[in-house]
Formats: sequence, structure tokens, C-alpha cells
Amino acid sequence: MTVFKTYLKILSKCKMPILLYTVLLVFFGGFNIQNNSGSLSFQESKPSIVIVNEDERVGLTNNLISYLEANSVVEDIELEESAIRDAIFYRKVNYAIYIPKNFHRDFLNGEEPYIKINSTGDYQASLAEMLLSRYLNLAKVYRTIFDEEEKMIEKMNELLEKELEVEMTSSLDTTAMEKASLYYNFTNYCFLAGLIYVICLVLSSFKNEGVFKRTAVSSTDYRQLNRKLLFSNGVFAFALWLLYVLLSFVLCGKIMWSENGLLLIVNSFVFLFCCLTFALLLGNAIRNKEAINVLVNVIALGSSFLCGAFVPMSFLPKSVLTIAHALPSYWYISTNEAIKSLEKIEWNTMLPILVNMAVLLGFSLVFILATNWISRRKRQLN
Amino acid sequence: MLWHNFKYTLEKLFKNRALIFWTFAFPIILGTFFDMAFSDIEKNERLEVFDIAVVEKSGYEGSDYLKSAFEELSAEGENQLFNTHFTDEDEAKRMLENDEIVGVVTLQETLKVTIKSSGIDETILKKVTEEIVSTSDMINVFVTENSQNGQWTIDNYEEFIERVVAEARELIETSDPKIEDISSKNMSYTMIEFYTLIAMACLYGAVLSMTAIDDVLANMSSRGKRVAVSPTPKWALVLTSALASYVASLVGVALLFLYTIFVLKVDYGTNLPLIVVLSLVGSLAGLSIGVAAASILKADENLKTGVILAISLGGCFFSGMMGITMKYVVDTNLPILNKINPANMITDGFYSLYYYETLDRFYFDLVSLLLFSGILLFASICVLRRQKYDSI
Repeated sequence: MTVFKTYLKILSKCKMPILLYTVLLVFFGGFNIQNNSGSLSFQESKPSIVIVNEDERVGLTNNLISYLEANSVVEDIELEESAIRDAIFYRKVNYAIYIPKNFHRDFLNGEEPYIKINSTGDYQASLAEMLLSRYLNLAKVYRTIFDEEEKMIEKMNELLEKELEVEMTSSLDTTAMEKASLYYNFTNYCFLAGLIYVICLVLSSFKNEGVFKRTAVSSTDYRQLNRKLLFSNGVFAFALWLLYVLLSFVLCGKIMWSENGLLLIVNSFVFLFCCLTFALLLGNAIRNKEAINVLVNVIALGSSFLCGAFVPMSFLPKSVLTIAHALPSYWYISTNEAIKSLEKIEWNTMLPILVNMAVLLGFSLVFILATNWISRRKRQLN
Repeated sequence: MLWHNFKYTLEKLFKNRALIFWTFAFPIILGTFFDMAFSDIEKNERLEVFDIAVVEKSGYEGSDYLKSAFEELSAEGENQLFNTHFTDEDEAKRMLENDEIVGVVTLQETLKVTIKSSGIDETILKKVTEEIVSTSDMINVFVTENSQNGQWTIDNYEEFIERVVAEARELIETSDPKIEDISSKNMSYTMIEFYTLIAMACLYGAVLSMTAIDDVLANMSSRGKRVAVSPTPKWALVLTSALASYVASLVGVALLFLYTIFVLKVDYGTNLPLIVVLSLVGSLAGLSIGVAAASILKADENLKTGVILAISLGGCFFSGMMGITMKYVVDTNLPILNKINPANMITDGFYSLYYYETLDRFYFDLVSLLLFSGILLFASICVLRRQKYDSI
């Protein structure tokens, strides 16, 4: 109990970093989740646009704006040039459309008034351009057929309002699953940073030269002390895991009760074990408290950036992903990604997931063996 | 004595390994991580060719136009949108299940699009298919309207229709919308991450100046007590220590600049003199924070370091280090916070040099930084002057 009490005493000094990691998890994991609601039917992606209309909002101009409003999200921002440019740069808006003065009159007179656009050049902007081009092309053809503006608009709308039948085959709530996997991907950073920081700090305090020598000459068996320390670290790791799992139920909601949600939890437990063994290895190898701070940041941030915890794996360069294979985080996040799109739980669909978990356990085994080797060597030196 | 203090303060700072790691090495390591993680992110956000399948249902008697439209959109070249697999229903289903394709277009009496889940590629497939269908409908409307008004007889009807259809197709093909793109070429938002990194390096200089100033303050260190009894005036000690820490900080920022420009290929715009001025003033802001923390805060070194890190990292967070959206959200909803945030003044200064053609915004940021530094330095001087000890 003395060891455990001392452990808790040192742990209480680490509450600020742990709180910080948890706040980051809630902020980044939770922030993403709040923005989207899941659905089992097809949800069209809508680009964010802003319309600067210098023309009167009548006739064709009015119809163009209404069409754009129906098919995209018109952002409510200041229509000042610098505000629009900022919104474009920071991707608040994907596409800004400037309708010139007298647009509808000039267009119907057979002229070719230019519509200026400012675009981010990404997927959503391409979608917005597709909408605008489609409308203008249609208007250009129809003005040669219909003389009256009203009739032309009526016929155009008949065509524009026609929607295709879309069938969606997946029964998985992909949006909710995407968000849950994002949350668990982010836990990669929190588990690594939290466990390395706390465990290294505790072990370095116990292995401080003065404390170590006093313990060595005391009646306490060092094996027993190590076992108690291992148990205390295990309890702390389990408590941290439980906290993050409970948070996932609060933030991700009912999807966590699904088979995929439970698989995410199991995977996080396997990863937790791997992190625990890794932290024990570092804790045994390093006694300098300044070095611990350095290691926490370099290892936790490095693994998270390179393996897809902060940026989705699909956005990472292939060369980075190749390097990432050497890190446990890669296997953890790969499994989360596989679980995200897992339709049926069958042997062949589960096999890659089980292989990834086995790799994580393999890493843990290597860390345990390395820890034993380092401990033995240090004891011999002492 | 002035040179002596300057030289030894500099030497002492460079020998502090932990300090050098956090101010020199950490921003470089973080920049490397940023580069590895973000180098492909913008490329992946652009519209790229994706795989689809087109299935012709048995008994489909529609026009060949739909099929040829997909063929046209799959032809290699600038306008290629899809990589279309013309196949049967079972094969298309298998491909969709295995994520080999984004969706299946089934050519039947009423066209159908089958997809696995919602997404941007799926939306584009739907929209493009709708456009193909509407073009086909457009030709029909064109033919119908011309038939009502046109000159044709029973004998030349087929010839007439062919001519009208050809006319309609030509009109559609040549009707390029008149859209003028006025977008800036400098649209790489990941640059903001690197600018916040420079801001962080500038502000981390505060730890250097705080350490250097603490070393000459009698109430903060043993060395401070010793130099306080020397005949050198305090202003000279504080000034040379501050200068030494400023030089050390500039070395760190310069190294980061060289690394980001030559290794990571970060684009800071073309106005080199203004980039240098902004870095010098940014580092001055870092120095002023450190001097203020050392002189105003009556606390131990750990707490002072904590306050400096909270200001620097908190400032970087609000200026977009952990996601550029945060900078935009604060800029638009709580602008005062970023107006007094030195990290944002530095980041925004680089952003305006990169993105804007005019320099108004840049000068506003520069003057804000000078004001910020001036106020803190003035407050520090007020606290430090006439601070004497009979015994300590």
C-alpha cells in the first residue's frame, strides 16, 4: 500500500498534463462529432459559397441565386473583399461568385457577361463550379429557344429540379462511424503522451539515486517493489482507458454500442497495453526528468503526425506511411480505419483486424523483453 | 563589463541544453512533422479521376448518348473525370463492395446511381450523371421546340430532326460558360501552420530572456546577488543580458527559417526585407514577454516558464497551430483576442505577405507588435528601476 500511496502522490503532480490531454481529446474529438449528424440515406455534399450580386435580384439573376442557394450552403459572412478572401483562404467558403451589374439583361440580349469567381480549387469548389457551369450552359441553350424570360426560367427549372434515383448499399452509419474512428484515432496521442509522461515520471522518482539506494538497503524485496509498481501503473493505465472509453460513449453516442463501436474499444485496449509496455521500457531506460518531457513530445507528437491521428491516413504521403509501419500507432490507427468500414463480422473481414492487433501484441512483447534486459543490466551495474 | 556580461550570458544560454532543445530543436522537429503530415493534404483535396462502373440493363433501349457521354468523360486528358468500367451487374456489385469503384450507373428506363455511402465523390457522380441526363433532355426540348416552329414536311422530317439535333449538340458543345477565375495563386493554407511555428520560435525566445534577466536580478538568483554588489549599473546588466538573449533567440529563428525555406520549401512570399523585419520585431515581442515575466512576476522560475509557455502556446493555438479554422473563428468572432495575441500578429503578418498584394494589413500587424513590445518593456522598466536591496 505504501508504494501505491506514493504512486498516487506522484500522480497527483501530473494531473495538469493529463487534464490537458483529455481537454484536447474532447475538443478535437468532440468538435468533429458535433458538426455532423449521421444518416443512413444519401446525403449530398454541398459546397460552401458566397454570392456577391451587383445586379438586381430579378428574373434570371434571381433564379440563378435561388438555384445556387438550393444546391449549396450560402455562408453568412461580410461581403467585403478582404473578408471574402480570408474566408476563401481559411476554407470557410469554397467558392465566391460575383454576379456583375445588368447580368440578366445583358445575358438575355445575347451578350456574354463574365461571372467572376474566387475559388479554393478543392473538391467542393469543383462541385460549386459544376453547379454554376450547368446553370449557365442550360441558360445559354434555352435563350435560343425561348423568347420570354419567364417561360425560359420555368423550363429551365423543370430540368434542374429533376433528380436521379440514388440507391445506397451500405447499412452502416458511415458518418457516425467516421466520427467515432476519428475520436479513437486521436486517443493515440493521449494514451502515448499520458502514459509515457506519468509512468516515466513515477519510475524516475522511484529510481532517483537516493531513493533507490534507501530502498535497496531496506527490508523491501525489489521484486515485490517492481510488482507493486507494475500493478500501480496498470491501474493508472486502465483508469485512463476507462475514462476515454466513457467519454467516447458521451461524445459519439449510440454508435459505440454497435459491434463496430465495441471493436474500436477492444482495439484501444490492445493499444493501451502496448503503450503501457512501451512507457515501462522508457521509464526503466531514462531517469532524467528533462529528457522525459522531450521524449513525450517527440514520440507522442511524432507518432500521431506520421500515423494519421491528426491528419487522416488517406491524406498522408505513401513514403510517410511506409515509415509509419515501424510504429505501433500505425497498426492501431489502421485497425480503427478498417473497423470504420467493416460491414459484416466474418472470419475473412476480421482477419486483417486480428493481424493488426497481433502486431500490436508483438510490439508489446518486444518492449517487455527489452525492459527485462535493461532492468537486469542496470541491476548488474548497480 | 558590458561585453563581458553579454558574452557570458550568451555562453550560458547556449550551454543550457534543455533551453536550447525547446527553443531551437523543438520547432524544427515540429516543422518536420508538419511537413510530413501536410505535404499531400492539399493535393488530396483536389478533384481527381475516380473509378465508376456503367451497367446497361438488358432491354434498355435508350439513346447511345448517355453511354458515349461517360466514354467522353473517361477519355484520357484534361477533362477526364472518371475511369469508367463498362461491365455487367454482378461484376459492378462486386467492385462496389470491394471499394474498387465509387458508384454504379445503371442505364435503364429511369437512370439509377448506386453508391456505397455518402461522400463528395458520390455527390460528383450523381451531379455529373444528372447533367448528362439533363443535356439529353435539353436536346429533346430543343428538337420539340424547333419542330413546332420549323419548316419540315413528312418527306424531310428525319433529315430535319438530324439537322436540329446536330445544331443542338453544337450549341451545347460550344456554349462554354463565361467564368473568370480571380483566385489567388497563393492558396496553400498549410503555410499558416509553418507561420505559427515561426511565431512559436519567436515567442519561445521569452524563456531565453527570462532566464538571462533572472540571472542578473538579486531577488532571483545567487549570480544576481553577486552581480548586484558589483559596481556595474543594473541597467547595463539588464540591457546586455536582454541583448544576449535576443541574439540567441534570433539565431534560433534564423535556423528555423533556413530549415523551413531550404528543406521544407515553405513559401513566405517574395518580400525578403519585410520578412526579416517581421522576424526581428516578432523576436522583440518574445524578448519583451520574457523581460516582463522576469521583472513583474514575483515567482520561481518554473511558474514564470509556465506563464510564458501558456502565453506562447495559447497564442499559437488561437492563431491556427492546431488547425487553421481556429484562427479564422477567432478573427471573425472575437477579433480583440487575436488583436492582442502576439503569436497571431506574427502569423497574420506572414499571411498578409503571402496572400495579399497590399501591405496595409502587414504594417498593422507590425505596428501592433511594436506597441505590444513597447508596453511590456515600459512596464518592466517601471518595475525594475530603483529596485535596490539593503540586504536580501
